Amino acid sequence: MPDPDVSLLRPYLLTSGRTEPIDRDLEIETQVLTSELGAASHASLSFERRDIVALCTKTMSVAEIAAILGLHIGVARVLVADLAALRYVVVRRPAAGLASDPAMIERIIRRLEAIS
Amino acid sequence: MKPSAEPRTPTPVKIIIAGGFGVGKTTAVASISETTPLRTEAAITTASEDVDRTAHVPDKTTTTVALDFGCITVDDDIKLYLFGTPGQDRFGFMWRDLVLGALGALVIVDTRRMDDCYPAVDYFEKTGLPFVVAVNLFEGRLSHAVEDIRWALAIGDHVPLVTFDARVKVSVRDALLTVLRTTLERVTAR
Repeated sequence: MPDPDVSLLRPYLLTSGRTEPIDRDLEIETQVLTSELGAASHASLSFERRDIVALCTKTMSVAEIAAILGLHIGVARVLVADLAALRYVVVRRPAAGLASDPAMIERIIRRLEAIS
Repeated sequence: MKPSAEPRTPTPVKIIIAGGFGVGKTTAVASISETTPLRTEAAITTASEDVDRTAHVPDKTTTTVALDFGCITVDDDIKLYLFGTPGQDRFGFMWRDLVLGALGALVIVDTRRMDDCYPAVDYFEKTGLPFVVAVNLFEGRLSHAVEDIRWALAIGDHVPLVTFDARVKVSVRDALLTVLRTTLERVTAR
């Protein structure tokens, strides 16, 4: 086990002292996909950023990135926001108002009803 | 429709699975998720008088809370995430993030420790997120009458109260369907 104090400080070190993502509202279910630019820049990236770019050749959520790479969720949000600002990844955030769209809710209901 | 060969990034939607520790949140997510549920940790910064361990950030201490989640692909455009989280007041930071944009919530109750779900019930009442209270039948039977549970939790008649078994996929499905129908009723009544 790593020293717990080191572990606690790690998020701050990883994100260059920032504790808020560039876009502080980046939802943890936001979908992340590596761009062509990101794939081409892979070798020049540092560890965690490189890991994310390598991982997101298949679309996944910020929460999945955090779980798979063993990062605190807040750290994953910061790193993804950084990569998105650099256009190394593209993000698909939840659509505003989708949660109150009856047609969309009905689609999900039909899908769940099909589960047996 | 766009050609199916084009790589698609689905729009994510989510339902929150809340309740006290050990109440069956992780089990419920595992029962219905189409992928192996994952766990991640969120760092929670709370005010603290214990400054010894975190001298660099006086008056704050960092704790972590586990977040279990899984997903269900609805279709090419929509992916439903299920986030299981302990409902604790002191985790308010993460709750705001989690709940924003959620379709609704399932609050799981263990009748042996009903107090554990109060923070979640309070939070969803306050924020107006549609939610359903689901009593997890650990022993396959109910130790209290449903209406007694409603009374004990002080939830209004507008909040559906169901029983389910977190270990059984179709039972979790039905509980989630109750959440979605509650949400649908809410949005169509506007």
